[in-house]
Amino acid sequence: MSAAGDRAVASASQPAAPATLARPLPGRLTLRLVDPMADPWRAGPELPAASATAAPSTPPAPLDPRAPVRLGWSQWQARRAGWPEGILAGVRLPNDVDPALLAEDLDRLALVELEFPKWTDGRAYSQAHLLRRRWGYRGELRAVGDVLVDMLPLLARTGFDAALLRAGQSRAAAERALGFFDLGYQ
Amino acid sequence: MYRHTDLDRRFVHARAAQYRDQLDRHLRGELSADDFRPLRLQNGWYVQRHAPMLRVAIPYGVLSARQLRQLARIAREFDLQDAGRPTERGGFGHFTTRQNLQFNWILLERSADVMDLLAEVDMHGIQTSGNCVRNVTTDVLAGVAPDEIADPRPWCEILRQWSTLHPEFAFLPRKFKIAVSGSREDRAATGWHDIGLKLVHDDDGALGFAVDVGGGMGRTPVIATRVAEFVPAADLLLFVEAILRVYNRFGRRDNLYKARIKILVRAEGERFVQAVRDEYRAIVEQDGGWISHRLGPQQIAGIAAHFAPPAGVAPGGDDAVPDGPPAYRRWLERNTHGHRLPGWRAVTLSLKRPGLPPGDATADQMDAAAALAERFGHGELRVSHEQNLLLPWVRARDLPALWQAAVELGLGRAHTGMLTDLIACPGGDLCALANARSIPIAAAIAERWSDLDEVHDIGDVALHISGCINSCGHHHSGHIGILGVDKDGSEWYQVTLGGSDGRLRSGPAQAGKVIGPAFAADEVPDALEAIVETYRGAREPGELFVHCVRRLGLAPFRAAADAVRRTTARAALETEPVA
Repeated sequence: MSAAGDRAVASASQPAAPATLARPLPGRLTLRLVDPMADPWRAGPELPAASATAAPSTPPAPLDPRAPVRLGWSQWQARRAGWPEGILAGVRLPNDVDPALLAEDLDRLALVELEFPKWTDGRAYSQAHLLRRRWGYRGELRAVGDVLVDMLPLLARTGFDAALLRAGQSRAAAERALGFFDLGYQ
Repeated sequence: MYRHTDLDRRFVHARAAQYRDQLDRHLRGELSADDFRPLRLQNGWYVQRHAPMLRVAIPYGVLSARQLRQLARIAREFDLQDAGRPTERGGFGHFTTRQNLQFNWILLERSADVMDLLAEVDMHGIQTSGNCVRNVTTDVLAGVAPDEIADPRPWCEILRQWSTLHPEFAFLPRKFKIAVSGSREDRAATGWHDIGLKLVHDDDGALGFAVDVGGGMGRTPVIATRVAEFVPAADLLLFVEAILRVYNRFGRRDNLYKARIKILVRAEGERFVQAVRDEYRAIVEQDGGWISHRLGPQQIAGIAAHFAPPAGVAPGGDDAVPDGPPAYRRWLERNTHGHRLPGWRAVTLSLKRPGLPPGDATADQMDAAAALAERFGHGELRVSHEQNLLLPWVRARDLPALWQAAVELGLGRAHTGMLTDLIACPGGDLCALANARSIPIAAAIAERWSDLDEVHDIGDVALHISGCINSCGHHHSGHIGILGVDKDGSEWYQVTLGGSDGRLRSGPAQAGKVIGPAFAADEVPDALEAIVETYRGAREPGELFVHCVRRLGLAPFRAAADAVRRTTARAALETEPVA
């Protein structure tokens, strides 16, 4: 260390032992793999094209609270003002939409789906981080789209707790993928 | 240097096991070539012109003799093939402008075995390729430079660790390069990086960083923009996180050539700067409940403790530099560097010599350099961005013996910072991206200027050669830059003058200017000679080449270079614009 560099560390109260930022993870990484056949969430009713932007002249069809409904982003925008009290919704957020737009809705949502149009398009990792860590979203955060088993450690560590894998992905490989690392630097 | 803790070791071995699983799935047909590609790239495995290429990470260029011996072993045992020209038989490594090492002839099937061998000596290829945070680079004299404000290595190491498999930033729009400078002179080319960090003190003497963002070479050379004059050192990771989050969310992904952060910074200007500041504030004010990456004094001190000088290095003692014959004095002048400790020197081992491509070292040479480091340099080496090796801890009294040993090994050429100490990418001989070959041009230059007296008379010149617009040979920042271009299937070379990497001798970072239409390969040495001779005829006493170019402008150099055209005079080619 140079003399000036020593000043940077002089605030340490005692000489430090060589250390690392690596630390063990709290536990094994986990992520629920969604079985599309057994998924309770159903796609919401399509909106008439005009009502997606204009105020609907007729109220949207009533929804059965026993069957959770998953809405597209424009569907949610059209319905959110009149969304019934006590019913939790699911919303799919495109990866180029600012997740801040959802910040005030989070206590009405039990599912947020974030999209990977291509698996190498990493925007949804930042959306997930913001929803979980900045705005405290507690519901299910699900990765959808082009989701590979090799993404699972990244998904689990950015706040996702569920993933709908691309067709043809191996569950055994998914299990292994979550087990390689029991520590991280972040 | 940083010594891996048990946790770091576990991490590197876990990465090697993960890679082996991915490779096995690929070889069994469970993982397609397209899906395997980004995974192998983030472990340093390219598929190149002849075979896979492995880029091994050498964090901020710091290497131990033990690690270099293991790299020699890998070169000897794995980087091999029987047929072809000498450059195609393997058995060597190539040190790169980003302070890494590349092998060219390892079979993909054996790649996981190589990762295990690297893990044995705490090495890996993590994030040496792919659209993620790459190897952090710094001043080759970090920790020993007399003009150092603060040692950049602990901060490089903190950035290395934090960016390693960062889950949010593993799939950015494009690759991302960070450089750190801790000295008054910027020897890390920070202005040319996606993020350039300069250690500074504020008015109260607190340590922090001036932060520049959005520099880069390639098709569109851009110098980084100042985004913050002072970020407290403890907030380094928070501020870098803010930059990366803004980039990950808003960087373009629709066009490979417009995906670097420099394009976002240029397009958004002040709005980009404001977005980073807003995100930084939000991290500090709203994300506090989550694991904070604000660095505590103990954390910083714990990392910095790795960078205490090697045992046995202490200031003082025998201060005098022994004298010797003229060739030794010349080597002292060019290849040894002032040290913050009296009685010590840093010493460049040149990897630029006739008969071998710039930056290449055979397995035997790697072993020999490791032995020199053990005998004279406390077992530590550095890889410079100029593609040489450097011993940072050499006693002044050992210099004559080191000089003799280096000369015997062919590592003692006294030309650091001069015309024949040129930078070159592997080019079209090895790289699948290249438009033209670099190695034959470098060889022709080494041959043309084989007289060291002449090289010394020409003095300081940074000559940088890239085989294509990806600019791995940093041609934009060369006092003389040579860029290989492809026209109708043949190789041509565009020449630029007056660029700067940001070092004092050539001033703030800037891109060189094209002097005219591209030259044919066989014209390049003559054109360079015409340019150099124009300088020798026109220079004022003590005036460096790059200063002479700035004073006179391009015209006389262009005229001289045009006068030696043969092929291109006949072809009368149009100027190739570099859009």
